[in-house]
Amino acid sequence: MAIVLEDVTKIYNPGQPNEVHAVKGVSLRIGKNEVVILKGPSGSGKTSLLSIIGCMSRPTSGRVLVNGRDVAKLPERFLTEIRRQRCGFIFQQFNLLRGITVKENIMLPLYPAGVSLGEIKRRTEEVMDLLQISHRANFRVEQLSGGEQQRVAIARALVNDPEIVLADEPTAHLDTHLSEEFLRMISEIKGAGKTVVIATHDPLVYESSLVDRVIHMRDGIILEEGQ
Amino acid sequence: MRRHLFILEFALSGLCRRRYKNLALLVAYSLLIFIISSILFLTHALKREAELLLQSSPEITVQRLMAGRHALVPVDWVDTIVSIPGVIDASPRYWGYYYDPFTGANFTVLGVRSSEFPLKGREDLDPEDCLIGSGVSETGLLRTGDSLVMVDPEGIARPFRVAGVFSTSSSILTNDLVVLKEETIKRFFQIPEGYAVDLVVRVANPSEIDTIAKKIKEKIPSSRPITRTEILRTYESLFDWRSGMVLSMFIGALLAFFIFAWDKATGLSAEERREIGVLKAIGWDSSDIMEMKFWEGLVLSSLAYLTGTITGFVHVFMLGAPLLESALKGWSVLFPSLKLRPVIEVYQLMVLLFLTVVPYMAATIAPSWKAAMTDPEEVIRS
Amino acid sequence: MILHPGIVALLGSSAIVNMMMLYSAFAGLRIIRYWDSKSSSALQLSLERRTYLLSSILSFVLGVNLLGLFLFIYTADDLHTQFVGAMCATGTLNANPIGWWVLGMKLVLFLFSAVWIFLNYLDQRTEDVPFVKKRYALLLVMTPLFVTEALLQLRFFLGLRPNIITSCCGALFSENSGGIASSIAGAPVRPMEYLFFTVVFLYLIVALCFIVFQMDFLKYLLGGLALVFLPVSIASIISFISPYFYELPTHHCPFDLLQGLYGYVGYPLYISLLLGTLFGLFPSLSEFFKGRSELPLRRWQRLWTTAGGISVMVFTAISVYPMLFSSFVLEG
Repeated sequence: MAIVLEDVTKIYNPGQPNEVHAVKGVSLRIGKNEVVILKGPSGSGKTSLLSIIGCMSRPTSGRVLVNGRDVAKLPERFLTEIRRQRCGFIFQQFNLLRGITVKENIMLPLYPAGVSLGEIKRRTEEVMDLLQISHRANFRVEQLSGGEQQRVAIARALVNDPEIVLADEPTAHLDTHLSEEFLRMISEIKGAGKTVVIATHDPLVYESSLVDRVIHMRDGIILEEGQ
Repeated sequence: MRRHLFILEFALSGLCRRRYKNLALLVAYSLLIFIISSILFLTHALKREAELLLQSSPEITVQRLMAGRHALVPVDWVDTIVSIPGVIDASPRYWGYYYDPFTGANFTVLGVRSSEFPLKGREDLDPEDCLIGSGVSETGLLRTGDSLVMVDPEGIARPFRVAGVFSTSSSILTNDLVVLKEETIKRFFQIPEGYAVDLVVRVANPSEIDTIAKKIKEKIPSSRPITRTEILRTYESLFDWRSGMVLSMFIGALLAFFIFAWDKATGLSAEERREIGVLKAIGWDSSDIMEMKFWEGLVLSSLAYLTGTITGFVHVFMLGAPLLESALKGWSVLFPSLKLRPVIEVYQLMVLLFLTVVPYMAATIAPSWKAAMTDPEEVIRS
Repeated sequence: MILHPGIVALLGSSAIVNMMMLYSAFAGLRIIRYWDSKSSSALQLSLERRTYLLSSILSFVLGVNLLGLFLFIYTADDLHTQFVGAMCATGTLNANPIGWWVLGMKLVLFLFSAVWIFLNYLDQRTEDVPFVKKRYALLLVMTPLFVTEALLQLRFFLGLRPNIITSCCGALFSENSGGIASSIAGAPVRPMEYLFFTVVFLYLIVALCFIVFQMDFLKYLLGGLALVFLPVSIASIISFISPYFYELPTHHCPFDLLQGLYGYVGYPLYISLLLGTLFGLFPSLSEFFKGRSELPLRRWQRLWTTAGGISVMVFTAISVYPMLFSSFVLEG
């Protein structure tokens, strides 16, 4: 999936004293099967940019082309539909739902998609096998170790078979061993032909060999792009 | 279609996970439905009871008005009334109320002729005998063979031997009843010779009742003929009015509950906000979240509705509505163990739905919309 | 006024519905003024979010409306014992003829809210939400109707005086009132039958022609017929359909059909009547409101027309059934 951003800005609380210009006129192209890093300190606008790329929020101005179609002004339900079909998210603290099982957590993105229960189960088992957590399927997430939780989070992001996987500071709370484990899984995802966008300031991630491009951000603008 | 079921399933699991938060709401909600359903069931049952009671009562009762109040009826009116075509029969009735200073209860005292004597196996009542309703029997701790003592207008205590007690299965009327022989009651209340308390008229054709009542009024201008349907109408509007009054008194409680429900629905915990944000980020639309909230409300309402109506049913029909007795049943103090026939109509259930579930759902629309508008971006930022 | 639980419930729910409608009208006004689907300003975003709330509110209003229609009839029925000469809900409505207006308004408001929900549903399937302003303009038209209905209903209940025994004399001299229903009931049966079957026949023919030939004027014709079909059918139920169910030439009550005594036949009857009307209206309405949207309207319009035709056939089948299979004959 190709995503093109043209002169995108994002302003929070416009016209109010706490107005924030998070993204200032960014243009960017993310190609198919690329691993792209958004690098920068906190407050540099990388999370805002990530959520615009992931069709989670709309830019204040500018165009966002997903496979050539401008989605910047789509009504929320259509944006949700694109997100549901094409994007998978991995959050900083995994953000799994406590109190329900691993399996249910992974199934959640498929509930509103209108697929049959058989199909939901098939896909869930597939990703659980892929990430080797099938033996934990009926455990509640709070009973799992950090590494296992990470796998569940990735499984949930992959269950809808997205074209693009987005991750926000995925290694911020992981030790070196688990971070390396994470990178191994990202390389598998890349191997499956998916695009990956990661917002991070962890050198272990952006210096990794599987990264195609590093986009360095500061104060809402792109400082430099490196390979 | 499928997605609605999945969302319902997830809403159910959400309710179970937050069971302590929801339990308080469920209890308050059920309690409210319990109270209102009790009021509605009781009113309806009493109306039905009155209806059944009146089926066996005379088609027309004739009273006499004197100075705007009703007075004793001259017995010779009977001849005038019987002469109207269509009237089968007219007869004087002797009855009155008696306040019992020992128990503080009101009895209805009725005189019967030997021809209409109501106790099986006995030909006649002795002048010193009485029959009593189960209510009287309970308040005075009287059984067959004991003496019921009543004080006559001259202050002389007169004992009457209890010859029998009406069984509890019979309706409202027998409950506070004391039956005496006609001559006995005339003497006890000192009703002058040639007068009765009122007259009852039996009519051959029910469709002629109104016409005959009109004719009685024309022939005897000082009379007040009352038809059976009029009594029924009066009873019904009285019961409706009472239940409406009691309901209005509960409007405060209703409002308080809906504000409570609104508050509960608005006050999302941080955990819940996070969950909604996560759901939206992974592909749930705001409308899906609203649907989930709708299911939550519907499930809670159904549970509360079921619990409330079932407990209300038990309260009214099995326990005899001890909590509402004084408010709804009585202008007469005495109504002890009245067993009501269990009758429920779809209508009562629908009114109940409108008084409780509809406002509850209304109170939760805006909060669930607010919750559904949680920005998914918040989740990545936290 | 009679203080009756059913009346308390109806007045309470109508207060809730009206507060919601007033709020929606206010929000709708803002949408009509400021809506700009090309903008991504904060105002547009907040308006868009507001539409979620409004569609939720309108769905709620529709549901309460439909239930309220039946509750109103039931309440009138429950109250009939309090009026001299009243045999069923008709008698109560005659006791204060405003009741007929309330009932009619409730029916009209149900149709309005169903149409609104329908347009909302179509609108949400498109990216440029073409009917949004028209839809909220329609809402502005509906709101005063809702308020009127609520006030009429209040007047109806306030004006009901039960004929109970008063302290001076019995109530039996209060007069029997006639009313609107009696004039319909008294209408000659034969012409009414011809009218009814002609309308049904035309509806089905036009629907069939539209499904086959898909000419544009046919949808408008169908819409017009649907609007005629509703009142003609109601008049027919009163005039000659209901007596067949009751097997009593003098009993014309349109409400007793809803009772268990007649197998609740009123529910399928009235529901197929309402569906037949709504589905007949949908093709022309969607055409009228469609704007420049790229909805597969053609296919849908045929689907709705089919559904409308089936509903009308079900309605007719239920109505005709007792005429064919009972020994009772109504003389014209």
